[in-house]
Amino acid sequence: MLRRLWALTQKEFIQLLRFPLAMIGFTVGPALELILFAVAIHSGVSHLPMVVSDQSQSAASQAYIGAFTNSGSFDILAAYPDQAGVVRAIDSGQASLGLVIPANFADQVSQGDASVLMLVDGSNSFVTQSASASAAAISQQFAAGLAHMSLGALDAHIQILYNPDLQDLWFLVPAFGAFLLYGIALKLTAFSIVRERESGTIEALLVTPIQPIELMLAKMIPNLCIAILDMVLTFSIGMLIFGVPFRGSLLLFSVLACLFAVGSLGLGLAISSISQSQVQANQLATLMNIAVMFLSGFMFPVYGLPALLRLLGYSMPMTFFLPIVNGIITKGIGIQDLWPSVLSLAALTVAIFFIGAQLFRQKLD
Amino acid sequence: MEFSFQRLGALVRKETIQILRDRRFILLFLGLTFVQLFVYSYSASRTVYHMPMAVVDQSRDATSRAFIQALVNSQYFDDTLYLGSPAQAYQAIDRSQVKASLIIPPGFAANARAGLASFLILLDGSDQFAVSSGYSAAGLVAQSFGLQLSAESVIRSGAVPPAANGSLPINLSTDILYNPDLNDRWFVIPGIIGMILQTLAVEQAAIFLVRDREWGTLEQILASPVRQLELILSKLIPLAVLCLLALGMCMGLGIFWFGVPFQGNLFLFFWLALLFISSCLGLGVLISTRAHTQFEAEASAMIFMLFGLLLSGLFYPRVGMPLVPRLIGDLVPLTYFIQISRGIYLKGIGMNFLWSDALILVIYTLVVVLVASRRFKMRLD
Repeated sequence: MLRRLWALTQKEFIQLLRFPLAMIGFTVGPALELILFAVAIHSGVSHLPMVVSDQSQSAASQAYIGAFTNSGSFDILAAYPDQAGVVRAIDSGQASLGLVIPANFADQVSQGDASVLMLVDGSNSFVTQSASASAAAISQQFAAGLAHMSLGALDAHIQILYNPDLQDLWFLVPAFGAFLLYGIALKLTAFSIVRERESGTIEALLVTPIQPIELMLAKMIPNLCIAILDMVLTFSIGMLIFGVPFRGSLLLFSVLACLFAVGSLGLGLAISSISQSQVQANQLATLMNIAVMFLSGFMFPVYGLPALLRLLGYSMPMTFFLPIVNGIITKGIGIQDLWPSVLSLAALTVAIFFIGAQLFRQKLD
Repeated sequence: MEFSFQRLGALVRKETIQILRDRRFILLFLGLTFVQLFVYSYSASRTVYHMPMAVVDQSRDATSRAFIQALVNSQYFDDTLYLGSPAQAYQAIDRSQVKASLIIPPGFAANARAGLASFLILLDGSDQFAVSSGYSAAGLVAQSFGLQLSAESVIRSGAVPPAANGSLPINLSTDILYNPDLNDRWFVIPGIIGMILQTLAVEQAAIFLVRDREWGTLEQILASPVRQLELILSKLIPLAVLCLLALGMCMGLGIFWFGVPFQGNLFLFFWLALLFISSCLGLGVLISTRAHTQFEAEASAMIFMLFGLLLSGLFYPRVGMPLVPRLIGDLVPLTYFIQISRGIYLKGIGMNFLWSDALILVIYTLVVVLVASRRFKMRLD
């Protein structure tokens, strides 16, 4: 039986390697993507394009504008004589924020009653929105300084545990690795049975003495290898090139990652069994991938979702695997703190794998 | 042999019948659009409210309680857990019981009167959403609470307050254009519609064209007097109609269900959306000329989807991106359509601001179609 399984696994490997373009896409592609996104994605507020209309042209207004530029959060691109020019710059998408300082600003400041208008592009990204908060803070600080009021009356110490410098990559790399492990295993498996059916080779397999369980394992093993290879590649690049730390136990992580991968293989199997064509399998797998991206805490916080979607999120193994990944890699904690997530992950994995295997067996009969 | 509209019409009819017969495909196509729009629109929000917070209040006086209340009132933090020692506060984050911990040292009220009060907030740095919301929220609350303390002490000391009511000399009023309530959904939906359309169009065009080769039905078509352009167009026209249907559905849901008002010119939006759909379909044809199987076509189409998701400015700002990712983002049609979609939908601007994005899409479509038709081989191998 093991010999037959080995032979079948070899056949699957050969079949996979016969599509070089897809293979490159599935192995080198993710690594390149990681590097690309690592340098592209910044969630912090820095150097946002800003325009001003300084109608006061006084020392006071220039000092006020200076407070914005000195913060490093904003770059002043252009100055306009009136508010309409500022609005036009935001309309055209040239600037994300605009500052309008009235002509009598200097006088008003000396009387302690100046008002300034900040225009913010509300059609743009999340960052623009948090930028308006940081602009408000800069303005408040500057004003407090003018009034000789100390903001130091309350000394705020904010300490960020595990990632003190707020490195975006420390968030991105562990989650991206987990996502690749899931997505690749799912995609490859989703196509497996359907392809055999579409090309008519499933009949040939069925007349041989191969057991369904052997066929299933033979389909899964190569996919699991590729998915694990992708994840190892991602983490190696993250750790060696970008210096992301791995603080916890590698052994614990490997065991849980394999458990997690088995869940996605099961899901892929289920998709492959219920789809009638590769096109359908592809649509279902893409849908699942995107749903996981949005609902499991990969791109957006899962606890911020509306109740129904949160429930959907908690039916995905990824929702429990991400805290495990972050816990082991970033926090360096062990099973004694992770067991609730591990139990949920295990339960979901078993359930999904059982359903997948069941559907697969039905399809073969 | 000349291009014939009659033959094209017959072919389009054949493709339409083929699509209409596969009811599961249409259901999936429109169903996917529907589900995607709902899931994306409801989930795409990064602000975290009501973060669970552990509190270690070693002062237990009126000022410390007022400060805890100020944090809770900000809606960002919930005081879910009261602990005895700072060590427990760290542990609570280690165990993921809470996302933040507040530690107030002894003598907070007395120190506040002397202008020396301090506190410590710990944030779970393994959760980027908790960190980014928590950091700015805690900073803002502390700043305004500190100002309040400072104003109180100035008034108490008998000095003239900075302004009549003790407020700051500069008052910054913020006006959020196009989206006054700062509703995440407003800026998410116009972009999401573009992303859904691009994914559908690129993927389906690539798969439709590869499918015939894989199924072996290309042979029959080759034996007929059909020209290459006619074949491609006959596949794309029904798909374009489906995409427009999906667009109409998304717009209807966006306006009537999600209540995002449409500010601009619907007519202009329709034509530019059609242009965008054409460029995506063209891209799909280009991908199909490189792919031998549906499997490969799909893998390549996915890459464009990922690039669109991450590099087009949909969620992550393109300002400040380094050159290489920005150039790759430039190759994705969605990058231009997002400007158009947000511009017309939310800002209500017209061609005078959007002409450059529209022009790029026209050039993009022409180039893609030209290259694709040169590469597209009506051969069996």
